[in-house]
Amino acid sequence: MSLIRLWILFLLLFGMTTPLFSGEPQEQLQQTTDKVLAILSDPNLKSPEKAKERRELILRVVDERFDWEEMARRCLARHWVQRTPEEKREFIHLFKELLQQVYMDKVEAYSWNKIQYEGETIDGNYGTVKVKIFTSKEQPIRVEYRLLKKGPHWLVYDFSIEGISMVNNYRTQFNEIIVKSSYRELIKRLKTKVSQP
Amino acid sequence: MEFGVGLFVIAGILCLGYLSIKLGRMEIFGGRGYEIYAIFSNTGGIKTGSTVVLAGVEVGRVKSISLENYQAKITLLLQPEVKIQEDAIASIKTKGLVGEKYIEITPGGSNEFIPPGGRIRETQPPVDLEDLISKILFEKI
Repeated sequence: MSLIRLWILFLLLFGMTTPLFSGEPQEQLQQTTDKVLAILSDPNLKSPEKAKERRELILRVVDERFDWEEMARRCLARHWVQRTPEEKREFIHLFKELLQQVYMDKVEAYSWNKIQYEGETIDGNYGTVKVKIFTSKEQPIRVEYRLLKKGPHWLVYDFSIEGISMVNNYRTQFNEIIVKSSYRELIKRLKTKVSQP
Repeated sequence: MEFGVGLFVIAGILCLGYLSIKLGRMEIFGGRGYEIYAIFSNTGGIKTGSTVVLAGVEVGRVKSISLENYQAKITLLLQPEVKIQEDAIASIKTKGLVGEKYIEITPGGSNEFIPPGGRIRETQPPVDLEDLISKILFEKI
């Protein structure tokens, strides 16, 4: 009898502590990363004709985890409030295209050997997850994701590679262009950048 | 005669006191302004008294640096008229390649401002040039 009780206690304890080993932000981020890696390593999608399809599949997975609006808002910073809803929509779309263009090639080019999770922090609705990405190169790439909890989902609103924050980088660049010329000019430049092959 | 010498000495001591306070950037009556703090994974050698700039304009100074949970907690004393948005980013930068370190704040777009005693959540530690150079070198090979 007492053995059964002990067993139940053990099950209860074990069941309760398992999610604590890696918290929600990391768990959700890991799910997304695993899905992307699965697509990247799928032999059926490796051929050049399938490149477009593969890209779309990856994008769909990434879409679930990335909060594009929050990212765009933080990158435009002070200039975001002055935009009309129409302009905001246009900007989010362009910004998303820009990030895809900049990072997709890298994601596809690297051979992903291993992703090591280096710990996470949770502070209210905000969380960070640190990872080390081991590629074929000797040195791993340090990436830190910053996530915001919206409902049950933890969504990425910024990430830094080797300590350099994506939002901070674009915030400085966008601000410079807007202050020097205008918001229209920024949109023009983004459009040309995005339309480049 | 003796009275004149005494006066001279006292004047000299006052001048010395004034100089040391000015040069040491100390504040006698506690600085004007309000404090906020930020947690950095690495200070990169920033010191008490280092400047805090926004758009290149000095808006405050580093008041204290302490260790908290194996991370650096940097307290900033900001001018009272400078309001920092809740999504602003604080990053540690270097003047030139080997110059002194300072903290730069990139203003955010949020409607909420950080209250006195609050925290800048978004921080960016200094970029380790040596580290980056070694990475680039390794990539080349």
